Amino acid sequence: MMKSRTAGVALALSAVIATAGCNAAATGQAPGGNTAQNAAGGGVSQATTINETGSSLLYPLFNGQWIEAYRSVDPNVQITAASTGSGTGIAQAIAGTVQIGASDAYLSDAQMRQNPAMVNIPLAISAQQVMYHLPELKPDQHLNLSGDVLAKIYQGQIRSWDDPAIASLNPGVQLPHQAILPVHRSDGSGDTFLFTQYLSDTSADWKNTVGYSTTVSWPAAAGGIGAKGNDGVVQALANNPYSIGYVGISWLDRATQQGLGYAALKNKDGRFVLPEKDNILAAAQAGAAHVPEDERVSLIDEPGAKSYPIINFEYAIVNTKQPSDMAAALKKFLTWAIDPKGGNQDQYLAPVHFLPLPAPIEARSQAQINKIGG
Amino acid sequence: MGMRTMKRMPANAKIANRLFVAAAGLSASSPILFLLLITGIVLVQSIPALRWMGWHFLTGITWNMGSVYGAMTVKNGVTAPAGASYGALPFIVGTLASSAIALVIAIPISLGTAMILAYRVRGVVKSALSIVVELLAGVPSVVLGLWGVVVLAPWVSSALGPFLTHFGPAIPFLKGPVGTGMGLLTSGLVLALMVIPIITATTRDLLERVPLHYREGGVALGMTNWEVVRHICLPHIRDGMIGSIALGWGRAMGETMAVLMVSGSAVNMLPHNLYSPISTMAAVIADQLDSAMTDASHMAVHALSALALVLLMLTLLTNLAARLLVNRSRGSRRIDLGVRV
Repeated sequence: MMKSRTAGVALALSAVIATAGCNAAATGQAPGGNTAQNAAGGGVSQATTINETGSSLLYPLFNGQWIEAYRSVDPNVQITAASTGSGTGIAQAIAGTVQIGASDAYLSDAQMRQNPAMVNIPLAISAQQVMYHLPELKPDQHLNLSGDVLAKIYQGQIRSWDDPAIASLNPGVQLPHQAILPVHRSDGSGDTFLFTQYLSDTSADWKNTVGYSTTVSWPAAAGGIGAKGNDGVVQALANNPYSIGYVGISWLDRATQQGLGYAALKNKDGRFVLPEKDNILAAAQAGAAHVPEDERVSLIDEPGAKSYPIINFEYAIVNTKQPSDMAAALKKFLTWAIDPKGGNQDQYLAPVHFLPLPAPIEARSQAQINKIGG
Repeated sequence: MGMRTMKRMPANAKIANRLFVAAAGLSASSPILFLLLITGIVLVQSIPALRWMGWHFLTGITWNMGSVYGAMTVKNGVTAPAGASYGALPFIVGTLASSAIALVIAIPISLGTAMILAYRVRGVVKSALSIVVELLAGVPSVVLGLWGVVVLAPWVSSALGPFLTHFGPAIPFLKGPVGTGMGLLTSGLVLALMVIPIITATTRDLLERVPLHYREGGVALGMTNWEVVRHICLPHIRDGMIGSIALGWGRAMGETMAVLMVSGSAVNMLPHNLYSPISTMAAVIADQLDSAMTDASHMAVHALSALALVLLMLTLLTNLAARLLVNRSRGSRRIDLGVRV
């Protein structure tokens, strides 16, 4: 276990150096590198080694659940996982140093044009909540917030908790006359991607001035701070009363234990909904209706009275051009991973607060998996 | 039999010697090779970003990777996402300001500690204290960062910051608001902790090497402890001191993780007071490289490389300047080593 992790980290490091150093990723599709890695990784025995790097959100699912479980499904296949961040996972999958790049965000159009052999395969559904540190609120009390109000907070246009814009969403709630401290992720993050997508979808001003990405150019006017990782954001929120931030769903319990509250967010139908299982599933069902063939799609702000507005697919970014052995191993593993009786079972997903793919999405993902090696 | 061995031995020895010379030569040249290689790669990688930004790379305040998921634009012959702007001034200022604060705090503390270690304590106490100082140098920066986030930042926000604002009328930079404690001052304090062991250890060794009869001469002249240190020891170790301070400064400018955790990671703004959130070049590279890799034009990686180039140049220049100072003072030192009271 230890060995394979070290190997993964070493691979990740070498690929980071390669990508930063000599533009290896620029040329894309490097099946040669792929074969070399496999020879190095699985050359000793006949077994195939699938290397995964990327999203820190997906890492606990791979490392804590799937790798162990898959050993009994296919003992000939070894899987290594490393938490490097989505961008690194994508870059390494394109460069061919790993077979699965785990990512909270799909590839951009420009990246797809450069690397047409890549596919974006949803593995599970994740969500995100907006959290705040308001000592005046009772633990079971949830503020109502909208994307437009959040955008104005992060642009420095709404500066106080008792601003009329917040008060009008929360009739009857005594809001403190205190300055709002907006906290954002300083590192590149799928959470930033989701949050800024929600703001872009609900505020034209945000869309035109800041936009969305895994790192954005945060407006300085808001006077907030950046923190590294979900743990850093939770710590910053806990340290600073009257702060607000966005946190991945798998951190919900740990954050509420620190005294943080989370908001009911305004959805497309104008209802305020909490990030609860039913609401996330409702949004996923609504999103399933318009998922395109390549499954690169935002699931932000789906219609429906119950739909929670900030949910997303967790992706496996895979190069379809693989040697036949690897293609077979990859197909088998990914098919198992999205199977509701396999990797998409609640027993694996629940510990990391992910939800299984809706049935129509599973079929779409399967169609993409079938392209590997073909 | 004996003859044959005699004949063969010199041949083997010759080969062994050649191998040894080649290996030693290769090892000796590796530092230069690595430095040239790293500088070369960083330089080549920076060029597109420098073409995109021109001198505004050093003077601009807006750092924006642009719309990575949107359309690309072409400017000055290079392609980047629409809206991309890489103005590194806030990060350059953040790096210089936080490391300067660290030095201002670290130099007197290190000097005091080194003097105590070199001249005032003996035996068990001395070795125990020395070990503690060296252990401090070994504390991983992420541990200091964690402590900075959990303990130091709240303390700066609630106690040290509000206290320093009293000096605001005299020194405008100390005026409030203090904010969250994640910012320039906390970064400087954490960096000082990392720099202190470096400067202390070197200075202690230097002080111990001041010839005893110099100090005895001072004492015989009726000098106080302070006068001996001020007029005999410090002039004697000045060269080495400057070198060790430069070493510490380089460490402070290049430090990444701890600063990243306590700096508040400000973008698009310059620090307006001692408590402002900042960001340093090293921290931004670590923070944004992952996102930069999703930029299909690769311009974001080039921009971070340009940032690395500036950081590399600054640290190299610091070291070089320190060395020049040391060399210059070494020439004149032997002549006017005389004591002036």
